[in-house]
Amino acid sequence: MTMKLTTYQQEMLDGKHGETKQFCMSKLTDFGEAVEATEMVDLVLVLNCCPIYSKDRKNPETAKKLAAYDLGHSALYDPIFKMKDAHVADESGTACGNDPYMVQFDKAEEKGYPWNFELPGKGSFKLDPEMVTDLKAGYDKLTEHGWLPWLSCNPYFNTRIPKMGEYAASSESSAAAYINTILGARTNRESPVNTVYCAYTGCLPKYGTHLDENRAAKCIVELDDEVRDALKGAADWAALGACIADKSMNRIPAVLNLPKNMGPTATKQIIACCSPGMNDPMLHLMGFTPESPTLEAAFKGAMPRNPERYKITMDDMVEMFQQINAIAPPPGAEPAKPVDIIVIGCPHATFEEIREVARLVKGKKVKEGVQLWVQTDTPSYHMAQHYGDAKIIEDAGGKIYHQTCMAMTPIRHYPKGTTIATSSYKYVKLGGGFGPSWIFGNPDALVNAAISGVFKPSGRWAA
Amino acid sequence: MEQKIVLTGIARSKGKAAGQALVNRQRMGWAFNHVGNEDGIVLVPGADIQGECVTNKIVVYPTVLGSTSGAISLYFKCKESMHGPAAIICQKVHDIDISGAIAGEIPAVDGLDQDPITTIKTGDWVEIDAPKVGQKATVTITRKQ
Repeated sequence: MTMKLTTYQQEMLDGKHGETKQFCMSKLTDFGEAVEATEMVDLVLVLNCCPIYSKDRKNPETAKKLAAYDLGHSALYDPIFKMKDAHVADESGTACGNDPYMVQFDKAEEKGYPWNFELPGKGSFKLDPEMVTDLKAGYDKLTEHGWLPWLSCNPYFNTRIPKMGEYAASSESSAAAYINTILGARTNRESPVNTVYCAYTGCLPKYGTHLDENRAAKCIVELDDEVRDALKGAADWAALGACIADKSMNRIPAVLNLPKNMGPTATKQIIACCSPGMNDPMLHLMGFTPESPTLEAAFKGAMPRNPERYKITMDDMVEMFQQINAIAPPPGAEPAKPVDIIVIGCPHATFEEIREVARLVKGKKVKEGVQLWVQTDTPSYHMAQHYGDAKIIEDAGGKIYHQTCMAMTPIRHYPKGTTIATSSYKYVKLGGGFGPSWIFGNPDALVNAAISGVFKPSGRWAA
Repeated sequence: MEQKIVLTGIARSKGKAAGQALVNRQRMGWAFNHVGNEDGIVLVPGADIQGECVTNKIVVYPTVLGSTSGAISLYFKCKESMHGPAAIICQKVHDIDISGAIAGEIPAVDGLDQDPITTIKTGDWVEIDAPKVGQKATVTITRKQ
């Protein structure tokens, strides 16, 4: 099948708009054939990974480091970095940027952060300086090409907000799910191979979740009233997302009986089940998803007479908390567990989450040797500096940082016996089993653990 | 005594390959913390092929699980660290893995006329001929009795 290209797309493919665009268009048209696309879509946003730009990848010492630090994407940029005419956004207007990576550049040498810390009696971890330098080289190169240096999971909150009907290409699964589910724009959980080429062309074959038929709900998941009324903390929302994914068994669900007031934290935490819990970056959260004012609309006009219907009960939520906490539990049978690291913000913490940590930790002190980390996007980081929340967290002995995410450091190489507590289902599900032990809980219990050094589950789900 | 089974499917990434099969009944991804970029060892807890090395093997699994970074990690293992599989066969090759296989220049096949998870056994010798994306691909399985 051959794709129908617009005049401009064909000109890019023919090389009339330079070497880079031609190179990237040929890669995208190859992919388009594999997924049987018939046309391309113009993109308003591309979210990808920043490369580690090493000058000599084949040097054995460097190659060894890259095998541990590189996600695998960096060499894809090499041919583009050699081209003289490589740039993004100028013609297309596509806002291009990257996921968080290993370090906050201006604090690379400071201690007490995921890239440089010590756990008393267990050991220490520090990012390799060559990798930091090479990542900065990649970041500078992209900035030179016109990329926006947001290094965040959440540019859709505050940097480029796609609107209903627009197209995006997000390799960040949670961003893809938020853009589809809450904003009504259209993106796949895009391959980070494609997003390199998307950035320089501003387009992508139309396939997958771009298409109506692949956005349709296939089943209904309904919350019990008791569950709906009990949801409160960031981990509750994340566990609810996990329950929805679990019940719908890797199909797109329409979710009924959600609370009326779900803000950015609640919605971000729910949709973060895409990737750890389900493959499609799309949920129809009835009352929130713009393209689904009715169930019929959620099913795209193909609603069966008796759609499969699942309930989420209090027992399901309790079981999900237990299940997540059983993925990589710290040793010992007692319910209260010593912790080393508390991390809040996967996906990146909203300003609301930062304020909550500040409120909970105000006037208290994080126990010596325990790390309290809040990770967020650059605008929210600076808001927290401006409004004083960052100072409260730092005065208590915690850290707030941007541009990075703990999981983007090689946590497999963290000191042996490290226990990490978090409100992120995604962290525990995707990170569990590769070194550290994981605890899953709500922000109040997490901050208490940072202060006391011991995690005790809070409230209703732990009962 | 040898048994030969010939299946036909659709090429999602083109190429020819031959190697021993590694069959994983669970969904799996190629991200660096799931299959080591530096050695090709499967790290996923609970996977049938945990601890096995994928290098030069034909890896058979239902479809993807987890991070989109599986695409780039598959590419990295095939083209940079040279610890990638020789090919992948799935019930459905997810778009993430299609792009990783194309970039890694290994064949990827799905849509077979029999379920690959139950038809192919770990240790079988598998040959793939997938000349053109979107077109017919042949998978020949040779099993020693």
